[in-house]
Amino acid sequence: MLALETIPGVRAAADAAAIDGMVVAEGAVVLRFAPDEVFIMFPKPGRELNEGFAQAIIARETGFVGCWLTLEELAARVVAHIDWALPVERPALAQGLVAGVPAKLWLESGRALLLCAAPYAHELTERLR
Amino acid sequence: MQRADRHPAPALAGPGRIVVDGAPVPYQAGDSVAMALIRAGAHPGRGGTLCLAGDCGNCVAEVDGIAWIRTCQADCRPGLAVERHPARGGPPLHPVAQPDVTRPPVARRIPVRRVSVDLVVIGAGESGTAAAANARLRGRTVLLLDAREDAEVVAIYGGPTVIVRSSTGMTHVHAREVIVATGAAELHPVCPGNGLRGLLTGRAAELLHAAGIDLGVAVAVGEPPRDVPCTVVAGRLVRIEGTERVSAVVTATGEGLAAAEVRTPCETLILGLGRAPRDLLARMSTGEPVAVIGPAAESFPLPPAPTAGIVCPCAGIGVDDLEGVWQRGFQELELVKRASLAGTGTCQGSVCLPHVRAWVASKSGTVPEPFTARPASRQVTLAEAAADVHLDVFKRTPLHDEHLALGGRLDRFGGWWRPWTYGDHVAEYWAVREGVSLGDVSTLGKLIVSGPDVVELLERIYPNRVGNLGPGRSRYALLLNERGHVIDDGMICRETETRFVLTFTSGGAANAEMWLRDWIETWGLKVQVMDRTMSLAAINVTGPLAGQLLGRAGLADPPRYLAHAHAEVAGVPCHVMRLSFTGEASFELHHPVDRSVELWRTLLDLGRDLGIRPHGLRNLFGLRLEKGHVIVGMDTELDSTPHRLGMDWAVRMDKPEFLGRSALARTALLPDSRRLIGLTMTSPVPTEGSPIWSDGEIVGHVTSSFDSPLLGRAVMLGWLKRTPFPEAVEIDGRRATVTRPPFYDPEGLRARA
Repeated sequence: MLALETIPGVRAAADAAAIDGMVVAEGAVVLRFAPDEVFIMFPKPGRELNEGFAQAIIARETGFVGCWLTLEELAARVVAHIDWALPVERPALAQGLVAGVPAKLWLESGRALLLCAAPYAHELTERLR
Repeated sequence: MQRADRHPAPALAGPGRIVVDGAPVPYQAGDSVAMALIRAGAHPGRGGTLCLAGDCGNCVAEVDGIAWIRTCQADCRPGLAVERHPARGGPPLHPVAQPDVTRPPVARRIPVRRVSVDLVVIGAGESGTAAAANARLRGRTVLLLDAREDAEVVAIYGGPTVIVRSSTGMTHVHAREVIVATGAAELHPVCPGNGLRGLLTGRAAELLHAAGIDLGVAVAVGEPPRDVPCTVVAGRLVRIEGTERVSAVVTATGEGLAAAEVRTPCETLILGLGRAPRDLLARMSTGEPVAVIGPAAESFPLPPAPTAGIVCPCAGIGVDDLEGVWQRGFQELELVKRASLAGTGTCQGSVCLPHVRAWVASKSGTVPEPFTARPASRQVTLAEAAADVHLDVFKRTPLHDEHLALGGRLDRFGGWWRPWTYGDHVAEYWAVREGVSLGDVSTLGKLIVSGPDVVELLERIYPNRVGNLGPGRSRYALLLNERGHVIDDGMICRETETRFVLTFTSGGAANAEMWLRDWIETWGLKVQVMDRTMSLAAINVTGPLAGQLLGRAGLADPPRYLAHAHAEVAGVPCHVMRLSFTGEASFELHHPVDRSVELWRTLLDLGRDLGIRPHGLRNLFGLRLEKGHVIVGMDTELDSTPHRLGMDWAVRMDKPEFLGRSALARTALLPDSRRLIGLTMTSPVPTEGSPIWSDGEIVGHVTSSFDSPLLGRAVMLGWLKRTPFPEAVEIDGRRATVTRPPFYDPEGLRARA
């Protein structure tokens, strides 16, 4: 059974051009949910965004849960529950239904992060059991 | 070739015995169920020509409890249970036992594998194998599927998505391209007597002969089978004679007056009448990148137009039936199919399509294109069709387990699991009215909107004023569409000059976000939106002792009515909103979801001596009803305007523009035709949806009802839809009084306390 844990980060909504030019700390993982929205996981807690863009909404985010998977675990436990083609490039963010649950996959070359909103955690865990 | 083998691999060692209609039937190694039955001198189905290739439905029976199985494609194994379908009608439905709710549904137990490839080739014959090899040489990922290799394609859907059934489960294959290479099928005869037993296609005769089955006195019409002892008779097929089984075949040579009929006695009639493309899968893939190759793509000559006999054995449609629908004006192939049902049976036209095309061509003078087919090409069980299909997802708040631990009975509302009651709903009610209570309102929609144009946006979106709302203040607002109909409601909380927090109903949050984003884009405004619905939990602390409890939790200076502030409550960072849905002083504490359990437990601990207890939706719905607050979607209809709801106070028509304003100005000139009203009556309380009567006619219905412990009578909201609006109405045969809500604390003193 997958153990989904809170994935803390910072979420920002801003003009797409501002996000394009955003500067974040080295080692941060940046997930571009939408042209105007980004979720950033910092390697160390307490790091903040470089607020170089005006009128942005920046919020500490604890509303996502997830777990890191090896590629073998991804293939064995998740891919069989996806009805869409995974992107081939790496890194890449894929978003869609996993086992019928809205979820996101951050695909790196050797591992993947399965992410979903906290209210879906139980259902996703049950369905990927 | 397709085959309907959904059963475990056969016991190849054979021989053995299967059980047919309760009696043992021996089989030999390699026998299909149909072959075993023929070997035993029986017919697997009701009659008609057997192809033993899975093309027709003449051998279908119930196998291992699954009806409509092509027995020619089902391998024998010891003890396999076969029930032949009755001579008329479908197989009997077996009574379904009471489902065991403690176990997952059957559909969950059929595994589904998902695969993505460049190319799917269906049919591993000569042309299919070559196509697959060629594609692989060009570097494409290829999946070659064949029922003989335990990979039976049962459907092609848009995408294309190829649905495959095997003994281990279902596979959904997403392909860029599909090639159908399923070969050709042998034609069945259409003439009087074609429903008798003892009729075989040439290939079926070859298979049975090779299996050592004695065909008796065999006669062949048309192209004779290879290596099968039989008498070949010349001429065209006229009719087949016999009672249940064939006893003779009548053929004719010559035409018109020169025609001469010949009657040839036989025990088995072998028919080599030609072939037709086996293109069922291709015919269900119109508009998809699906190619057909090999014999499946060939244009075989059509058979002679039938003049008598059964055309569609699956649906029992004869030439007379075709003539009947033609006379009624259905004079195209697709119309003939729909009106007569020829081609809608088990084999989906695999048998009858060439004959119906030939018949329509003889009537119209034009050979029509083949009719389309619909998934699935094979009978699939509901469990197979629903395998791995997921039910809707219902979200859980972070307090889900807390509710369960407190004895909460949870149900689904607005896409969320929410507590309905914790057992003692009367005590929950009085805790709110006289003490303090907690409600989990994490499900409320929560959006942050920010940007230089945010005030302009909200002034256009909402029908009340926004610009004059100061930072730290909040205001209730309706959300209207262009027609002035209420689509949602919630609070507008101003944080700074350019930043607001908006709340929406639990079920309406997603639509509200899309609504805002659409208009921001349409109007080209500089506003950012962030949906925090699932990031923030919310606890409503409500009741006359709510302020006292929050004081104990460290909130010494709680916001006054319709104000809001960011503050720590019991050490948890909260956005505290002072409002009231219950009618009592209420503070919504919006906070990070990962701190919610901690905050909930602390508040319950701190309020123990105050008699604190949580309340569920049952009471929330009742408490707000006493105050006359509507619930959008429950008390409103799709075309409810603020005026019809009695909520003109929430609209500022002196604003120059907002969504729905023009419609409201126009409809204000029309006479009232509907009105949401308050109702009271003695207990017992009518159920929601109860009709409202006046003068013997139904004049409306109840939308919400509650047996008010405080007021000692039933309070309701309901629609009146007949004018003039009656003052005296009846519900459940009892008089009800039309009353202007709120029913409780009309001055709102308690909410402001």
